[in-house]
Amino acid sequence: MDVRSAVSTPVTQYTTHRRSKSYGRTFDATSRFCYTPGQLTITRIQTSRETAKARKITDKVDPEQVALLVKKEWKLSYVTPLYQFRHTKLKVYSRHLSAFIMAEKQQGMAVEVGLEAGFKVTFSTVLGMAETKDDAETVFIQIHNKPVFASEGDAPKVVWSGWLTCINGDPEYLQALPPEFVSLPLFCSSGAESLTFLVKSWFERTFDCSFGSMGLDPTDLHWLAALWTGCHSENNIRSLKLVWTLPSQPPLDVSLTVNAQDAWDLWDKVRQQDSTDNSISIEEVKRFITGIESHFFRHFKVYLSAGVLKKVSTALGSVHLDGKIKITCSDYMTTVLTLLTECAILKMPILPGC
Amino acid sequence: MSLLFNIVISVVLYVCFTSLNMDDVARTLLQRTLRKIPTRKLEETIKKWSHLSRRQQQSLNYTQSKWILLQKLVSFCEDNELTVRHVSELEMIYCMENPNLGTWKACHLTDAEDDATSLDLMCFKEQFKSHLAELTRNVSIKIKKHENETIWIRIAWGENFIKPNHLKPTYVVHDLQTPYVFICNLSSKNKPLLYQTLVLATKHGSIKDAHLSGRNLHAVRDLLMGNYHQTFPTNHQRPLEEMSPPPTHPNIENEHKEHAEKRQQVACEAFGEGKVPKLETATYTLETRFRGGGSIDTLVDGEKPFRTVVQFASTSLLESLHHCVSSGIADAPVSPLLSSITQKGRNYFVITDKADR
Repeated sequence: MDVRSAVSTPVTQYTTHRRSKSYGRTFDATSRFCYTPGQLTITRIQTSRETAKARKITDKVDPEQVALLVKKEWKLSYVTPLYQFRHTKLKVYSRHLSAFIMAEKQQGMAVEVGLEAGFKVTFSTVLGMAETKDDAETVFIQIHNKPVFASEGDAPKVVWSGWLTCINGDPEYLQALPPEFVSLPLFCSSGAESLTFLVKSWFERTFDCSFGSMGLDPTDLHWLAALWTGCHSENNIRSLKLVWTLPSQPPLDVSLTVNAQDAWDLWDKVRQQDSTDNSISIEEVKRFITGIESHFFRHFKVYLSAGVLKKVSTALGSVHLDGKIKITCSDYMTTVLTLLTECAILKMPILPGC
Repeated sequence: MSLLFNIVISVVLYVCFTSLNMDDVARTLLQRTLRKIPTRKLEETIKKWSHLSRRQQQSLNYTQSKWILLQKLVSFCEDNELTVRHVSELEMIYCMENPNLGTWKACHLTDAEDDATSLDLMCFKEQFKSHLAELTRNVSIKIKKHENETIWIRIAWGENFIKPNHLKPTYVVHDLQTPYVFICNLSSKNKPLLYQTLVLATKHGSIKDAHLSGRNLHAVRDLLMGNYHQTFPTNHQRPLEEMSPPPTHPNIENEHKEHAEKRQQVACEAFGEGKVPKLETATYTLETRFRGGGSIDTLVDGEKPFRTVVQFASTSLLESLHHCVSSGIADAPVSPLLSSITQKGRNYFVITDKADR
């Protein structure tokens, strides 16, 4: 019983001056965040980016922690800023979330299950991931479980992992947040849906935040296709694979795998047309993708524009329109996470003027 | 005394031997095969197999859980002292009824000898077995005739000192007097052996890859043999069935109808109509000059090919492509690359520019 009570009592003290569920987004009347969503999107969508540069992320961050983040497919969600989240209280959070999950799992169960057989949560900080002083440090969560019928010596298995991060978050947005909020807008999870749901609901209760699923835009996929292709001169991408789904009956999947060198040559030619060294414009990205699409059309006379680009993958990583990402090469992690952080901030609901 | 002792020993050995009347391979194969067969098809398959006595068959309760059913079946087979040969027959019967459990690759036999057309089943069977036995040792072959003239061959490959592996057999399907062979689950190591045997046994000069593959054997076969409703190009427009455009101005309606009819006609010509063979994929290796259009074309080295691999995939590819053309997702006339699937009966192509050939 005390397990349940530990959970149902929120750890935060709700004070009277706490604003309504505005998620810290209603700060400044003159800020562009208070425009209507449509205008906001137009003003905030990036039209140029820095080229992806290989950075040994393992120089700054513990390689063991980096290894936990790569080579796994993560489901993406956005999270609104966390109220009174403290990186110093991770141990307490670990205990509370363990208890919460245990309590939820025990609901409706006739038999008392000992804590040993249950779930154990660990929170940790991935130090060094943050890029700017405004970025909050990344938080990594793991859930271990010891199966009910496991023998004595069996080590608990990791059944779920997830992390919250903010890389190169919009400084104007981050600085405008009230001090009691911590913004880690990008939430990546991998593991059973039921556990993801429990973790989300614990966060929502504890930090008065809200989660939302984060589908990506075809444009985001275009950006990643171009950014990854640009890396080929430093790091072999093996091939650039693009997958479209056309709305025929039954649906038709078209996958186009471009030879790595040929894709890079094309990208290089597109880049030479207006050569600004370190930044890529959206026009260049569009020209690159359109080029590949029209090459396909000349052969098959099938309009790819009738369908939707579903997936982009290279040896450096893969991304799915439904909001799934896999980063295989940690060297370009910062670039990818910068883009995803931006998407997460853009996806958050905006409640103007409250 | 010693004679008596010997007799005793041999009796003991005999008892030991009969208690293990099914070897491990047979038991594993039996369990795997039974697990593959869905419960609703189990009764029918067991009946066809006819290696269980009538009493044994009647005592089986097919409404029981599959796990209990399997245990009972395995114990019956042990009682009947069935061997690998019997069990592989069960697998073969199931595979013949459900030939959609792997990828079938089509091969084309060429340069038929004069007497190739008069080949009969007995002769083929004999030739196939003797030729393959000459090429490799320890191979287990089973040949069965299915419907009409279709021959099914199951080959479990072994090596000099290795027993045939019955868990990964190759299946070969061939209709006598046709130039096509369909092969499922063949390793590249055994490919030359099988190809040579097939060429000799069918009395042909050579065999080559037909560049067509799919999970549905019937679809692959129907496509190659043109065994589906084909539409041939015609100047007469056919009335369009099952089309009810929203009511608009009669002129617009007419024009739309004409366009739709034209597209439908083109789609039918390229991909057949009605029930078309269920093909899953078509793959193109493009080694052609980059043709992106606009200003990029001039930038990219005209000489060098832009290497890409394009794959179309759907639960029923021809249906999807048909729909693409009739709904306007694909332009009419249909690209020759796509219509080649039906016209040439292939689903793998390597495309280069004309000048390169």
